[in-house]
Amino acid sequence: MSTPLVSLRSVSYFYPKSDCAALLNVSLDLAAGEIVGLTGATGSGKSTLCLALNGTVPQFFGGRFFGEILVAGEDTLNQPIHHHAARVALVLQDPGSQLIAASLEQEIAFALENLQVPPPEIAVRVSEALAQVGLAELRKKHPHDLSGGQQQRLALAAAFAVRPRLMVLDEPTSQLDPQSAAEVFSLVRTFNQRFGIAFLIAGHAPEEMAEVVDRLIVLADGRVVADAPAHRVYTDLTLLQRHAVRPPEVTTTFAHLAGRGLARPPFPIHLADGMERLRRLPPPRAFAPPEMVTEPSTVPILALDGVSYRYADGTEALRDLTLSIHRRDYLAVLGQNGAGKSTMIRHFLNLLQPTRGEVRIDGVPLATYSAPELAQRVGYVPQNPDRQLFNASVEAEIGFSLQLLRLTPEEHERRVSGVLADLGLLALRKRHPFSLSRGDRARVVIAAVLALEPEILVFDEPTTGQDEAGARAILDLTRRLNEEGRTVIVVTHHLALLPGYARRVVLLREGRLILDTTLRDAFHAVASLESTHLKPTQAVALARSVDPVLRAITPQELARCFDGSASLPASSS
Amino acid sequence: MTTPSLQVVNPTSAFAALDFRAKAALFVTASVLAVVWDDLRCTAALALAVFVACRAVGISWTYLGFVLRVMTPFFLLLLCTHGFFNKQYVLRLTGQSHVTPVLSLPESWWIVGGMVASKEGLLYGATVVSKSLTFLLLVPLCVFTTEPNQWVVGLVRLRVPYKFAFLVSATLRFFPLIFDEIQAVMETQRLRGFALESMGPLQRVRTYSRIAVPVILSAMHKAQQVEVVLQSRAFSGRSNRTYLHDPTLTMKDGVVIGLAAVGLVTGVLSTLLLGFGRFVTL
Repeated sequence: MSTPLVSLRSVSYFYPKSDCAALLNVSLDLAAGEIVGLTGATGSGKSTLCLALNGTVPQFFGGRFFGEILVAGEDTLNQPIHHHAARVALVLQDPGSQLIAASLEQEIAFALENLQVPPPEIAVRVSEALAQVGLAELRKKHPHDLSGGQQQRLALAAAFAVRPRLMVLDEPTSQLDPQSAAEVFSLVRTFNQRFGIAFLIAGHAPEEMAEVVDRLIVLADGRVVADAPAHRVYTDLTLLQRHAVRPPEVTTTFAHLAGRGLARPPFPIHLADGMERLRRLPPPRAFAPPEMVTEPSTVPILALDGVSYRYADGTEALRDLTLSIHRRDYLAVLGQNGAGKSTMIRHFLNLLQPTRGEVRIDGVPLATYSAPELAQRVGYVPQNPDRQLFNASVEAEIGFSLQLLRLTPEEHERRVSGVLADLGLLALRKRHPFSLSRGDRARVVIAAVLALEPEILVFDEPTTGQDEAGARAILDLTRRLNEEGRTVIVVTHHLALLPGYARRVVLLREGRLILDTTLRDAFHAVASLESTHLKPTQAVALARSVDPVLRAITPQELARCFDGSASLPASSS
Repeated sequence: MTTPSLQVVNPTSAFAALDFRAKAALFVTASVLAVVWDDLRCTAALALAVFVACRAVGISWTYLGFVLRVMTPFFLLLLCTHGFFNKQYVLRLTGQSHVTPVLSLPESWWIVGGMVASKEGLLYGATVVSKSLTFLLLVPLCVFTTEPNQWVVGLVRLRVPYKFAFLVSATLRFFPLIFDEIQAVMETQRLRGFALESMGPLQRVRTYSRIAVPVILSAMHKAQQVEVVLQSRAFSGRSNRTYLHDPTLTMKDGVVIGLAAVGLVTGVLSTLLLGFGRFVTL
């Protein structure tokens, strides 16, 4: 066997002041030209492993490091981090915060300049890298003027221009809309096939990962719990469930079909394989959608009437938007980056006032509400919980907003204790918020919002960066709050997580409302979804591949469409 | 939408197209003259010239208005301080034995009763205001018209160590991101019912101090992330690197640097030798 490109031998690592191992006895190899996926629950050690491959861990963070990491035969600890840049390129999760230059070409040139590549050669490589990622026309633009997807492509181009042997991508698509994410994975394949660059991709995007990775590593509590070809790991559903990893929907669909005696392992992990195998089954029967558990009332609570908004730079962010949201609605707001989702939400929160039109709550113009009054009507849970936290304890954080209401001490305590108990935070009430995990910090923020007892709750990308269990926990909470009578609005582009939660979908494109319908109809409005950089889920794509009018939207629903009494064709396994 | 970038003006304007070193020469000349001149007519003319230049290169009224709004209380304080208290220094500048009173506060007023503002003190206060305004406007004039990368290359060409030059440029890039973060944190707090505009000064200060916690944490996180990114992209801080665009001084830059040098020498010498720009009572 040839020498591996990367070799980790018994690597363990403890961050400073921590007795909990971020990596524990990790041993693995990466071959040249290989594409390897790295997955696992939040906090399992994925990012730490990524940062260890160019020496950032432990050289930058400190802490205790044991074992050895060799990249192209060189120990990562023997040279400073910048020395490894010629071999290992790192692309991080947040596209915006890793861009440092004032133009696209400068962004790509930066590492090459540091590596003392001659200027004529830099110019060639910059042009080539920009062409590869489809940004050649924008070379003089400022990176912050790009969309999130374009920024991540630029980060890939900057990494590619160095001609590294290995590119390490840490959750590269978690903040991108599905089409932008697909473009990133397409680039991975291109760079790998044309230039032989090896990839280590950490993340929670099973459908996209399954299409490109050769091998999948699962981390749990810093240990490698699986390291095998992707099809073997993604079809080991027991293992994935144990470690909070979601398999691709196509795999889940076939697992459900197997439960009905209609499929046998190994299950497919690629969509095309799934479609092919599904077509070999007997034709599906008509699908009867399940009854809705909680119906919204017909009484509008929040209304936008002909709302338009123009930013100071002239951007028309909303165009004549009319929308009525009812009590107990559970509404998902979808659209690509820049479609107007955030601008619309900011109007709900009175952070922006319409250039034209009006926003009303219970028929009363929003502009007439004071900030404290509005906080008791509309609660906002930001994507980043840390923006809200600044008190010294969980209970102080929750009680902070209540100070404005001038409640009696008894009522204050009733509300604080109530939400603490409701969200399972009683045991943490004296802890400092920043000593908690990200998931617990998110619950503290939700508790602080709920203490004000708002009728409308707005969640901004609540599942971004969460593993399967964390995302489900938050969405389960939103569903419970909705069932208790609150109106829930969720902004997201994680379509696969919405079934079972949202009932209604609003789809925006270029500031216009292009779809306002049920979740089921929205999932099958493929042309509308694709026009705004969204993609139908694999379950929907599979359903439509066997019957264009089959209205199933989840793997379970799709499996139920096939007659379990039918005999399993020999070729369908 | 706001763009977190310092390149807020048209980069193709004649001033923006100048090399960083030419702008630095103009900056130094204007700054030195603002320091050495004490004649209100000269300092006011200088401030006006810089203001006009700011508008000419495209710096918005909004930004300039913001600067003036924020600074007005300080300018008023300067005027009052010099008007009421600066006697000995203006007497030395003018060679007079007494100042000219222009305003007396009634004796009955608490603490300040009986205080007298002088014409000379107020004039000198106005001079200091116009000097301050010159400095304040020179910064955006040079910063907003220069790409951060030009700062780096220009400073390196001026023999500033690359690591320091990069730090200056990175700091300039970082400020807008911090302002965005402050804005986001303030909005988040507003959504919890804390409207700063309806608070008294003390409560506002208390709220600002609380907002500082998430802002500082976020800034530290971002700074750490940038540092990881920089090192991962071969940044070592050493000057032995290449540049995609290695700027060379054009004839125009040479002329501007020459004019700036002549202006500097002429201005300083005429002040020292001929008394031009010295404080006068008008």
